[in-house]
Amino acid sequence: MPDSILVIVEQREGKLNRVSWETLSAGQALAAETGWTLEAAVVGSGVANLANEIAGKKVAKVYAIESPKLEPYTPDAFTAGLKPFLQSKQPSLVLMPHTYQVRDFVPKLATAMQRSAISDCVGYKKEGDKLSFTRQMFQGKLAADVSFTCGPPWFVTFQNGAFRGDKVEPGASAAPLEILSVEIADDVTRNRPQEVFKEAKQAVDLTQAEIIVSVGRGIKEQKNIELAKQLAEALGGELAASRPICDSGWLPMDRQIGSSGQTVAPKLYLALGISGAIQHIVGMKGARTIIAINKDSEAPIFEIADYAVVGNLFDIVPPLIEEVKKAKAGA
Amino acid sequence: MLSFRKPLTGIERPQMPADVVIVGGGPAGMACALRLSQLIDQHNAKNLDSPLSKENIYVLEKAREVGQHCLSGALLDPRSMRELLPGFEKEAPIDAEVTTEAVYFLTQKGKFKFPITPPPLRDHGNYVISLNRFVKWLGRKVEETGITIFTGFAGAELLFEGDRVTGVRTDDKGVDKQNQPKSNFEPGYDLQAKVVILAEGTRGSLTKQLIARFALDRDRNPQTYGQGIKELWEVPAGRMAAGEVIYTMGWPLTTKEYGGAWIYGGKDNVVSLGFVTGLDYPDPRLDPQHVLQQFKRHPFVVSLLEGGKLIRYGAKSLPYGGWWSIPPVAGAGWMILGDSAGFLNSQRLKGIHLAIKSGMLAAETGFEALRKNDSSAAALGDFQKRVESSWIRDELWKVRNFHQGFEHGFWRGMLHAGLQQFTGGRGVQDRYPSTAGPQHLKKLAELAAAGGHEAHLIGAAKGDGKLTFDKLTALYHSGTKHEEDQPAHLVIHDTDICNSRCVKEFGNPCQNFCPANVYEMVDDASQPSGKRISLNPSNCVHCKTCDIADPYQIITWVPPEGGGGPNYDGM
Amino acid sequence: MKILVCMKQVPQKDAPLKLNEAATWIREDVSYEVNEPDAFALEEALRQKEKHGGEVVVITAGPARAQQVLREALAKGADRAVHLEDNAFVRLDASNTARAFAAAIKEETFDLIFTGLQSDDYGYAQTGVVLAELLGWPHATIIMQIEKTDSGIKVKRELEAGYFQFVEMPLPAVLTIQSGINKLRYATLIGIKQAKNKPLRKVALADVQSALAANMQTIERLYIPQKTKNTEFLEGAPGEVAKRLVEKLRNEVRVL
Repeated sequence: MPDSILVIVEQREGKLNRVSWETLSAGQALAAETGWTLEAAVVGSGVANLANEIAGKKVAKVYAIESPKLEPYTPDAFTAGLKPFLQSKQPSLVLMPHTYQVRDFVPKLATAMQRSAISDCVGYKKEGDKLSFTRQMFQGKLAADVSFTCGPPWFVTFQNGAFRGDKVEPGASAAPLEILSVEIADDVTRNRPQEVFKEAKQAVDLTQAEIIVSVGRGIKEQKNIELAKQLAEALGGELAASRPICDSGWLPMDRQIGSSGQTVAPKLYLALGISGAIQHIVGMKGARTIIAINKDSEAPIFEIADYAVVGNLFDIVPPLIEEVKKAKAGA
Repeated sequence: MLSFRKPLTGIERPQMPADVVIVGGGPAGMACALRLSQLIDQHNAKNLDSPLSKENIYVLEKAREVGQHCLSGALLDPRSMRELLPGFEKEAPIDAEVTTEAVYFLTQKGKFKFPITPPPLRDHGNYVISLNRFVKWLGRKVEETGITIFTGFAGAELLFEGDRVTGVRTDDKGVDKQNQPKSNFEPGYDLQAKVVILAEGTRGSLTKQLIARFALDRDRNPQTYGQGIKELWEVPAGRMAAGEVIYTMGWPLTTKEYGGAWIYGGKDNVVSLGFVTGLDYPDPRLDPQHVLQQFKRHPFVVSLLEGGKLIRYGAKSLPYGGWWSIPPVAGAGWMILGDSAGFLNSQRLKGIHLAIKSGMLAAETGFEALRKNDSSAAALGDFQKRVESSWIRDELWKVRNFHQGFEHGFWRGMLHAGLQQFTGGRGVQDRYPSTAGPQHLKKLAELAAAGGHEAHLIGAAKGDGKLTFDKLTALYHSGTKHEEDQPAHLVIHDTDICNSRCVKEFGNPCQNFCPANVYEMVDDASQPSGKRISLNPSNCVHCKTCDIADPYQIITWVPPEGGGGPNYDGM
Repeated sequence: MKILVCMKQVPQKDAPLKLNEAATWIREDVSYEVNEPDAFALEEALRQKEKHGGEVVVITAGPARAQQVLREALAKGADRAVHLEDNAFVRLDASNTARAFAAAIKEETFDLIFTGLQSDDYGYAQTGVVLAELLGWPHATIIMQIEKTDSGIKVKRELEAGYFQFVEMPLPAVLTIQSGINKLRYATLIGIKQAKNKPLRKVALADVQSALAANMQTIERLYIPQKTKNTEFLEGAPGEVAKRLVEKLRNEVRVL
């Protein structure tokens, strides 16, 4: 059987999880470099239409792994559903996004197949014939290239934001689609999940925020934080702060970023009036894009910013909020 | 609103009986515990039917781990360790034996080597060590002998009954910024002890309580202090040999400040360097961390550090007062050891060996007290006698006037030091007086606005980010961490003074002498001076400088919640 | 309820890390501490014991220094400890670590096994789930709350983006516990003293060797991540700058 890469996408309640496109993008990149065939699979009940969505991209084939027992998600059912499929297909690489759901079953699936997973990867390297996967270790302080010392299938999960979902190549024509009905015995699923629900969180978990607007001393007064809050809301992000702001009680301690607060690596970190003392930097330097606005052109934050604005944040943030609102409204 | 830490009242505290409680797990405390253990073992071997127990002997260490708050150059004079553990060199972590020493007098760009190393600074036979690692090793030995070390627990208050010290109260844990119990609140324990041994290190907080309570400093010289700021550097190979020792005097200090630098070569190309500044300088704007950064700009230091990496930063005060500043060291139910008592030879810049010896002598007294079940003033007074007839006294007597000789400047100090060398330490009189450090501070009105000769030492260092650093960046390398949600442990008794008088008179020197950016004056329009004192208590590195050096003596340093503080790994 | 808590000792969060000679791991001369997520797992186990009675046993796999983690757990109220003591345990992959645990607890019957949601050094988040599969037990991850029911337990699982889910499960089960769900208790002086007399069973590598297999993955190299930053300064009037920022947010950062 020729070597293949299988991307297993994630869906919930009939909708593809956005991060699935990132994994597909990763699969396409790997396929291009290795020359291996790229295939994709959706798991659930009545997911043929989702499989069709994927088939519009550049993949060799798409599978819909179907069973009423696969909805809602349980680790037992997913493992029971995927294991025989993988055993027969024998893909070399099985790629998935590192979501809460994937974390919940991939180690189980890999173990059931006497294999192993390298999780939460931010990239890969191909050196000759050897493939290794890059991941952050020690909370981002070090990076490791990890490779498999067992045979395939090799399970790899990719970190949110490691690949660009918008860079997925469309297919020249729709890929063939195969719907596989799997048999899952009644006594397989031991967990009985109830309906998923949303709840106002007691404490904010900044580590999950994709966009963070953070304020430092430059915000001058507590009442000015409202401005940053508006920007955060306009962007759909979370509000955070450096130590002095939380120490003064202007924001609760769970919004503190830094060596004595949370360490975050969001897609976007907007630093308003933050000088960039090392105690703060260590908590956010892993952010994919850093935008800093500060009056002081020598502020150390500019050393790690992607986009820098030397100026008065009170002059810049109000028009920025307007422009963001306009852009979101589709202007 | 600043809320300061104080033990909660009206709550029930667990009571725990103890035979001996040693407050402080540094070299003095550990040596005491180890010696006590040896004596008990010896006793038990001969008295099978009446053994003494180690079950109720405790060491309280406020750091999360043994050794974490220990900072020193350090050079160890092995004299007392050889008494405590003959052959200790074979298993103790020692960086190197001292091979060469050199003393330099620095000018801004130049250096003059002393043709002969002054005898007090001759270090042959001494060892370059990391005090942190040494104490960790000692701690393991103490635990192996069966004495319990409680890490993460501070001695918050002494318990008294009339003239007697009856025990120690440990810190309240889980108290929020407003001094209210949190859901995981744990009250401090009352350790009811027969003997309380204070080995808290420099400017001990319980020691301070004890001295105040019993006026132990009456007819002693006021204790005087220096602040040592240390950096650990990894330098390119070949720059400095392990065991190489360098001392410097002169630049960047002027003749009005006391102090100097040390540079010790450790193993694996790690260099310990630091600057000690006497906390009796006249200009309140002087910043000792800035002094160290200036020192590092000297060409010869640059050539040593260039291309290297800062690994650790830390600071600690040191008691300079010498023999005449040492209070009575024993009383009913209590003994004081090491730096807490002031057992430091400021001329040789060494105190670890004295701390260890004092611990051993206290253990001998403590052992007798346990054996006879008598920890009265008379019984423990035996410790005082032991110290006075030991080589601690011999050594410290010879340098009893050393630091005081420098009260009027560098050259006079050298003159007196020379005289003392030939008169067995007497100099021009048997007992030179001393003045507490903050009393040397001049008011801003009396000083040149631009700083005069010491202009280059004033205010915060900016740092070039490679060889020199601003305080906040340096502080990051101290690994200091505290539970954030707790009351401020720098107890300022009257913040109005900070916000009004001190702004005008001294310009709030706490911002300068604190090596950890704990103190900050922030803008506050509601204050007449336009400024208000603000604290960053979790930056604190437990050096005690603020308790020592504030000109109004309104700051009392108390231990924060146990487990917090710097992480002096390798220091 | 008899609960096992798997705990790990990791380098202290702020510890400066140095690479070993081969650049495949860090040098061991750093300070260590308990993996914070495991401390939350222990806290939850202790609370369950307080509510329902039973026993809390803690286990770790690591060198002699890892015993500290067990001592602290015993001081906080755990009843027994198991130490798989050997330097070699540090370099086992998650699968092997889980196998070692499974072998060490073969003779015991636990109702629940807790782990922290992931380790602060590796961050794989796998050991608990692998262990569940090896034992043939049901499992659930990132658990915020546990309630006892007639048929087993009902747990609250955290999902992304502020979503949650209740799941009913039979016992025995493996749960990985979310951090921050409780305030961690302090060990007391009496707890520390009592810990010294609590049973601590040592298990040698040889005792579990037959259950282990070769590692299925290896770290080729460990390194300091290089970030090449080209800072683009945006200049101009505030209105202009705002427009250009939004352009970047839309086209480069892709958050709009």
